[in-house]
Amino acid sequence: MNEVPDIVFFLGRFHPLIVHLPIGFIMFAFLLEILSKWKNLKELRAAIPYALLFGAITAAKACLLGYMLASSGEYDGPMLDGHFWFGIATTTFTLIAWLISIDKIKFIKLKGFKANIATLTFLVVLISVTGHYGGNLTHGADYLTKYAPFGEKPEKTAPPKTVNDVVLFDHVIYPILEEKCMSCHNPSKKKGGLSLNNAENILKGGKKGLAIVPGDLKESGVFHRVTLAHDDKEFMPPDGKTPLTEEEISLLSFWIKSAKADFTVKLVASEEKDEILKTALAYLNLGEHAKETLPTVQPADSTAVVRLANAGFTIRELVYDSGIYDVVLPTKTSKTSEETTKLLEQLAVIKDNVLWLSLQDNQVTDTHLKTIAQFKNLRQLYLNKNAITDKGIEELKAIETLKSLNLYGTEVSKESFASLLNFKSLQNVYVWKTKVTDKDIEEFKQKNATVKLHLGVTK
Amino acid sequence: MCNNHEHKKLRSNNRDLQEIEKQIDRRHFLKKTSLGLGALALSNLLGAEKLFANVTPQSSPEEILKAYNKNRLGLPHHLPKAKRVIYLFQSGGPSQMDLFDYKPKLTDMFGKELPDSVIGGQRLTGMSGAQSTLPIAPSTFKFKQYGESRAWVSDAMPYLSEVVDDLCFIKGMQTDQINHTPAITFMQTGNQLPGRPSIGSWLSYGLGSDNENLPTFISLVSKNGKGQPLNASLWGNGFLPSEHQGVQFRSGKDPVLYLSDPENYDGHDRRHMLDYLSHLNDLQTDSYGDPEIQARMSQYEMAFKMQTSVPEVTDISDEPDHIFEMYGKDSRDSGTYAANCLMARKLLEKGVKFVQLYHQGWDQHNYCPGGVKSQSRKTDQATAALIKDLKQRGMLEDTLVVWGGEFGRTVYSQGQLTETNYGRDHHPKAFTMWMAGAGVKPGFSFGETDDFSYNVVKDPVHVHDFHATLLHLFGVDHEKLTFKHQGRRYRLTDVHGHVVKDLLT
Repeated sequence: MNEVPDIVFFLGRFHPLIVHLPIGFIMFAFLLEILSKWKNLKELRAAIPYALLFGAITAAKACLLGYMLASSGEYDGPMLDGHFWFGIATTTFTLIAWLISIDKIKFIKLKGFKANIATLTFLVVLISVTGHYGGNLTHGADYLTKYAPFGEKPEKTAPPKTVNDVVLFDHVIYPILEEKCMSCHNPSKKKGGLSLNNAENILKGGKKGLAIVPGDLKESGVFHRVTLAHDDKEFMPPDGKTPLTEEEISLLSFWIKSAKADFTVKLVASEEKDEILKTALAYLNLGEHAKETLPTVQPADSTAVVRLANAGFTIRELVYDSGIYDVVLPTKTSKTSEETTKLLEQLAVIKDNVLWLSLQDNQVTDTHLKTIAQFKNLRQLYLNKNAITDKGIEELKAIETLKSLNLYGTEVSKESFASLLNFKSLQNVYVWKTKVTDKDIEEFKQKNATVKLHLGVTK
Repeated sequence: MCNNHEHKKLRSNNRDLQEIEKQIDRRHFLKKTSLGLGALALSNLLGAEKLFANVTPQSSPEEILKAYNKNRLGLPHHLPKAKRVIYLFQSGGPSQMDLFDYKPKLTDMFGKELPDSVIGGQRLTGMSGAQSTLPIAPSTFKFKQYGESRAWVSDAMPYLSEVVDDLCFIKGMQTDQINHTPAITFMQTGNQLPGRPSIGSWLSYGLGSDNENLPTFISLVSKNGKGQPLNASLWGNGFLPSEHQGVQFRSGKDPVLYLSDPENYDGHDRRHMLDYLSHLNDLQTDSYGDPEIQARMSQYEMAFKMQTSVPEVTDISDEPDHIFEMYGKDSRDSGTYAANCLMARKLLEKGVKFVQLYHQGWDQHNYCPGGVKSQSRKTDQATAALIKDLKQRGMLEDTLVVWGGEFGRTVYSQGQLTETNYGRDHHPKAFTMWMAGAGVKPGFSFGETDDFSYNVVKDPVHVHDFHATLLHLFGVDHEKLTFKHQGRRYRLTDVHGHVVKDLLT
């Protein structure tokens, strides 16, 4: 490998640049041929030989440069062979097509015209195949079809269901390498001679040394390269690709250092797992560290949102482009119960889109809570300072996602407690300045430990 | 309009002069087009954050829709925990080892020289650096553990010790600055030199307003704290459009200066006046395209709305007596720390996103025990009351409370050390802050200092990390909230900062 002078590599890297010229020329020749026939524009035909000649010259150049690029050894396998031979075939055939077009080669039976269109069609097929191989080499074999709406998705390792199932390498490390490294470090495109697709290749390392040294972060090339300063020449992934996140780096470091780069160890079985458990579970979206997922909703009807804003609601999208809103009716916007009814009817148009809702001090009564109970994605509800009684609370248990319920300054009493027990996700209820007493709360605590009732410090 | 006026003045009958005038015209033309076009492009760029400010009842549905679909900044990035924040800034640098960072071993080291190994070659300030001796001064305060979380609090803060189970202490805070002005500026803007936007301005810029009748960002400076001066750049908008600056509410008759109508003017034609003024300003915007004209217009509108909303929100007469009692007797005296805490709660209730409270006087270079005691007396009860009050209203769930100064204080005595008296100098390498409420772990303590409360030995949290965490709680990725100014993009955390996930629920 060392005998190859640097200039060869330098020139080789121009291959991806030059390679698009023959593609253009050949397609152009094909287009001219079609047009000349279809629109009967005979004069266009004069340009075809030139297009083909330049196509042939640039194709030859591309072949040469491609050979130089391949000599770096970064590319490998049947994909490269295919690209190599199809590239040569395309070049040769372009030359033949040129000779046909200037009548150096004559097919008597087919007459010039038909021979031309046939060779050109064949050329287009050839160059497409060559290009496809080339693309696969550069971007990875699944690049083109990854997001295709048809066809089978490649089978993935089944995600672990519980903490006990998590295999550190398979479920945590491999997906990181796959997402961030493998488009360049795979069996068909071994940048720097390194492939990271399986244990064997990872341990083999690349031209610059070992990728992973069990237990030794400093000697592990992969770890060293991903933790360099982002503007370092050696930093990986290179410019324009997404770097590893802090979490991913800490997981990788744990696997190399504490888990000694063991490919089979389970997360729960690894030593000193505590330090990483939380990060790993958050990464896998497991257990209590699972990210709070947002409900999937239809985007809110835009005119409805505008109408609500004009009616007096303050509406704020909670996550950009999620269609999920925090809705506040500023205090005392509604003067009468009827007004509130009307406002809530309007709001019900986007009922699934509301995650947080505040209706404090707005003439809300028990009858309104029937409407609110339809807001099935509510997590936080401020109903304080409204004339709500125990009867209304019963309705709200239909909201299975409700976590926090603010009832301070309402008329609820301990009679509500029975219904509170039926709420599915409820965590906090605020009952300051209601008929609820300290004693009631003590009693409730005996029955239920998940729902916390909060009374004020002052009466 | 103005242009015509100019032309009239410049036109002359003399032919030579007319020639010159033509040149001026061309120059004027070029200036206007280049400036105008550039500014137009600029205002396009800035258009994103203007959208919210521009929504008025007269706006077309499309405009409002754009505003509600939020701006091109793409915020929030993730589901927020906090909706609003009150930052209780303890200006001067509260002494961490006299309040929260309990160091029992110091008692036996009274008067001993602070080892060089602890100082670690740090450059001290000019105030104590020249001292011939640096004697260890153990705290004279008594510490006890409180609550289920068993948090250590000194007897200087008896009220706060009642609510420790709601607090999340950060004991390993670190800053880069050793003197007040740069350290406060660093704490508030992420940079030690004035000129960058403060935290509240960034949030206002990024997330917009929740109440169009009040400013998004309000600052309050208590009148009963004396010390190093504070200046408006601490709540300034820096290079962000000026409607994002903090509006200072003062004590006394006029909470906001120049807001009330002048004497003998009943204000009935104010609306008409403002409409015409905005018509004139529109003409100016068309001519020059300066986005600051827009900012000024939105501020006029805000001021107009504030003429009614501010007296309403600053009126504390409807607060019941037991609330005043909870915040302490100072709370009836407008402008004190306690009264400001109460005011802050009212502002938060009204949908103000960021209330920045400052209390000066934590700079105990000498008479530290007495100073800490007197400062605590002014702030302790109201701080604790604010936590309790927010909690009973259910607001602690989505309100973030932050308490802290710009740096800590030294373990060694500045000036003479006696049994009952010592002074403490500035110390940037370790200090304590706490947060409470939305999204932070209650009853939790994070980070540790060494036996001298001098170096952080476990889990340091840098000011940049604190900023990153604060933004995170609002659903903002601190690396993505940027503003391009003078050729580069700026962030609150500049090129630093990590979200301290351990503090989050």
